[in-house]
Amino acid sequence: MLILRTLRLGPAHGHEIAKHIQRTTDDVLQVEHGSLYPALHRLERKGWLSAKWEMPRGGKREFKYYRLTATGKKQLVAEHSKWRRLVASIGRVMEPAR
Amino acid sequence: MGIWRKFESWLSWLPWYRRGARDAELERELRDHLDLEAEEQREAGLSPKQAAYAAHRALGNTLKIEEDVRAAWGFQWLETLAQDVRFSFRMLRKSPGFTAVAVLTLALGIGANTALFSVINATLLRPVPYPDAARMVLVWQTYGGNSPDNVNIVSAPNIWDIQKQNDVLGSIGIFDSAGKGYNLGAGSDAGRVGGVRVNAGFFDVLEIKPLLGRTFLPEEETAGKDNEVVLTYGLWQRRFGGDPAMIGKQIEVEGSSYTVGGIMPKEFEFQFWSRERELFVPIGYTQGDKDRTSNSFVAISRLKPGVTLAQANAELAAIGQRLANEYPNQDQRMGVMATPLTLFEMGGIGATLLALLVAVGFVLIIACVNVANLLLARGASRVREFAVRSALGATRRRLVSQLITESLLLGLLGGAAGLLVASVALSLFTPFLPGSLRSMPFRQLGSISIEGRVFIFALLLSCVASILFGLVPALGARPNHLFDALKESAGRGLTSVGGNRLRHVLVAGEVALALIILTGAGLMIDSMARLLAVNPGLNPKNVLVTSVSTKQDNMYYSPPVDAHFCQEITRQIGAIPGVVSVGAVAHLPIGGGSAGRGFVIEGAPPFAPGNQPGAGYSVACPNFFRTMGIPIIEGREFTDADTVNAAGVIVIDEAMARRYWPKQDPVGKHIKIGGADSKNPWLTIVGVTADFRRDGLDKLPRPLFYRPFTQAAWPSMNIVLRTESAPEAFEKPVREALAQLGGNYPPSNMSTMEQIVSDSLGSRRFPMFLLSAFALLALALSAVGIAGVVSYSVIQRTHELGIRMALGARPADVLKLVLGGSMSWALGGVAIGILGALGLTHLMGGLLYDVRPGDPLILGGTAAVLLLVALLACYIPARRAMKVDPMVALRYESFAEDKCLTGASILRYEDVWESRSSDKCCEGPSRPRECLSLRQRGRRSRPEFSPCAALFPSIASKAARRTRQT
Repeated sequence: MLILRTLRLGPAHGHEIAKHIQRTTDDVLQVEHGSLYPALHRLERKGWLSAKWEMPRGGKREFKYYRLTATGKKQLVAEHSKWRRLVASIGRVMEPAR
Repeated sequence: MGIWRKFESWLSWLPWYRRGARDAELERELRDHLDLEAEEQREAGLSPKQAAYAAHRALGNTLKIEEDVRAAWGFQWLETLAQDVRFSFRMLRKSPGFTAVAVLTLALGIGANTALFSVINATLLRPVPYPDAARMVLVWQTYGGNSPDNVNIVSAPNIWDIQKQNDVLGSIGIFDSAGKGYNLGAGSDAGRVGGVRVNAGFFDVLEIKPLLGRTFLPEEETAGKDNEVVLTYGLWQRRFGGDPAMIGKQIEVEGSSYTVGGIMPKEFEFQFWSRERELFVPIGYTQGDKDRTSNSFVAISRLKPGVTLAQANAELAAIGQRLANEYPNQDQRMGVMATPLTLFEMGGIGATLLALLVAVGFVLIIACVNVANLLLARGASRVREFAVRSALGATRRRLVSQLITESLLLGLLGGAAGLLVASVALSLFTPFLPGSLRSMPFRQLGSISIEGRVFIFALLLSCVASILFGLVPALGARPNHLFDALKESAGRGLTSVGGNRLRHVLVAGEVALALIILTGAGLMIDSMARLLAVNPGLNPKNVLVTSVSTKQDNMYYSPPVDAHFCQEITRQIGAIPGVVSVGAVAHLPIGGGSAGRGFVIEGAPPFAPGNQPGAGYSVACPNFFRTMGIPIIEGREFTDADTVNAAGVIVIDEAMARRYWPKQDPVGKHIKIGGADSKNPWLTIVGVTADFRRDGLDKLPRPLFYRPFTQAAWPSMNIVLRTESAPEAFEKPVREALAQLGGNYPPSNMSTMEQIVSDSLGSRRFPMFLLSAFALLALALSAVGIAGVVSYSVIQRTHELGIRMALGARPADVLKLVLGGSMSWALGGVAIGILGALGLTHLMGGLLYDVRPGDPLILGGTAAVLLLVALLACYIPARRAMKVDPMVALRYESFAEDKCLTGASILRYEDVWESRSSDKCCEGPSRPRECLSLRQRGRRSRPEFSPCAALFPSIASKAARRTRQT
């Protein structure tokens, strides 16, 4: 889900995704870089991501850029709402209505 | 473009698609990541080298990541499979002896099954070649209840009534059940072809349209308007060169002129009761055909749309009832029923094929058991390999899948070789196929070949066999054993009592199955021997037979047109030097067909309805009985004096004399053919023949009588001549002699009487031959199986046997031990086999002659044969055990199995039991680690024993006993 959310902002390559997740979570969630790639390839296989070798703006070499597909976007919306429900219910348990 | 994308995305699911490129991309992607990360770290102030290390640290193990990504690609199972297959190939190649034996064994088992299946495929499974054949039925008259067992061919008047009264069947086609050989052409190019009379509806029911011209019209069913023929494509091509202008042309048939009305398409073939029919003539009802009791036609029809067979039979039964009431004299106790055409004549062959299928299935199981035993033995020596692999992280599933892949591969190799075996076997035994299998009624003739369906069958069989023989060893690969196996040195791991028992149980089962097949074969061979020993009541030696047709418009009833037929053939053929005598008969003895007539005995009390006396009926020329070697026990046979104008005479057989004139002299008595009110003349019995086997060697003689040809003609006669020397040499002179009679009697089907007697057993000889072949195969395979298991257990027990001998066992004792152990299993197998044989051979009741399925002599004999073979198979490896040199045996074991003992020369048995309190066996230049493990094991399992005692518990206990005794 985190990968999908990251790619919502636009296409990115593996390193960017890893750094982005690390940065936005203030280094709390240290996604182990090693586990990122199998996950990316699995998502690609499922058709939620598509990948393309592209030259970054002003870059010198091509990187493999991942971007969200239409089904991937749908999946993100579904996962997001699921996550929201989960957080809300956990929240109700942890901090009962005052 | 879009299509290509789609196609590519499909392709991408294949593991080999762009495999290299994919791997390269992944590598590049990870390298990019490392570069970027390293760059970042450098910016943070690390040295390039440190930065690279840090990047690697952050990413983790690249190899592992690549593995995981490949797993994410989702076709790892395929790669695993490919790996397994490659590995299996390597394993099989590495042990060529094992592979050869296993593949050969399987090839024999699968080959036998495939060969039998291709016979079934070519006969029983061959489709009836008419459109919508499933709705086609045969219509029968039944006597003794409407059941498929009581069906009988029909008479024309009954079929006319059935056609008029029912509304469940479409039009009914009928044809003459006997068919006939027709003389086609005239003079020197005369030839005989199989033909049949059919009614106008016949071709409509088959739903086959003629290729050229037309089929018959209803008005052509009347005698006199029936000079029309329809030819098959084959006959048209063969005799008339496929000339399309033949339609409407006149050809000579039986000496009369016939118009060619139509040519049937190429795929149309028609055969019934073992003779192909190529010439069709209109039925041209004769006076005899119009007799309601003259049952001589086969009726075929189609169920009307929406009508089920049960509904049709309900209505036909009602019609039968009505006819029986309406014509009490002719249709007494008659019923009518329809049976599916596709099932016609399947029943009789079914029993034979069932027996053969069971036998051949057993052969396959025996083959599988042998291979399973081989795999078990090999599994024991591979235990370490599996232990190591599982220690390195292979899951149980992976190991079992490896085993299954190996056995599947073995099975498929066996299947491929089996196809080869099958094709060789087929070419060997096709000539022995009985006619009833070679030409099924209504089905097309065709060769038995290995085609698509047979391939699929062999493939399925290979897979089933692989599962059968692969399952046992695969189940044995239990991971909890692996730890022990790793600790143990090679070989010991699975030499457990359990493994040996499993192997012996399998062998016992094998023996049981072999016994059952052997009993079946024994019963059939015994039946055959008894049949061959049957006295046929005639002398078939030096007798030549050929059939000719005579000019007979009004078949079967009136005096002959060729009044001088008998005299002419006697004059012409009798003049050939070396011919002893000549005769002719309508129905040859030993299964040459039959006719029957009801009659009235002069002076006998009137019979109850349905109880009219009757007997088999045929027609003969003078000298027939003498020529055939059938003794006349009373009176005389026919002579030239029995002419049309002389008093009517008959010759009867002993069975008829016994039945109707018990304890009387039948000669001079009178009978009249037909009912009590018949106008037929009285006939005088002038002679009685001894009993002979008219309907086949396996059928008891039954009442029958003959009329002379001069007084009662028959349209098709068999000329019989007795010769001084080998009858085959007379074929040409006979042909020439007959040609001199103006081409009136072209001969066909020339053969010797001995051949006919032998052919009559064809339908028995074939299953006997096959079953014997299967039995031999089963016997050989189980002998190999027994020998394999015994020799394997002897090798395993070499050590034990050596000790026994060292302790004073004589070679004979060892022999007894090995033989006794193995033979008790074989005996158990024989006992089970006898029970199985008692149960299963009852299925073959119909295939046997004069011998009961449970015949004790046969059962005892086969059991003895099997035990003898088992004894021999045990004896050969056991003898090797007997010759074991105790020193060698002990050392062999020590060298092969316990490396820790290699250097110690203490292995004389005295030393062994003396050393039990010390760890002497670990002295010498042995490897410390193994010694350690040995020591630990010894301590853990039996703390009070030394490792040596743990290794050789039998010695230890014996030694202990010995010490106690002294």
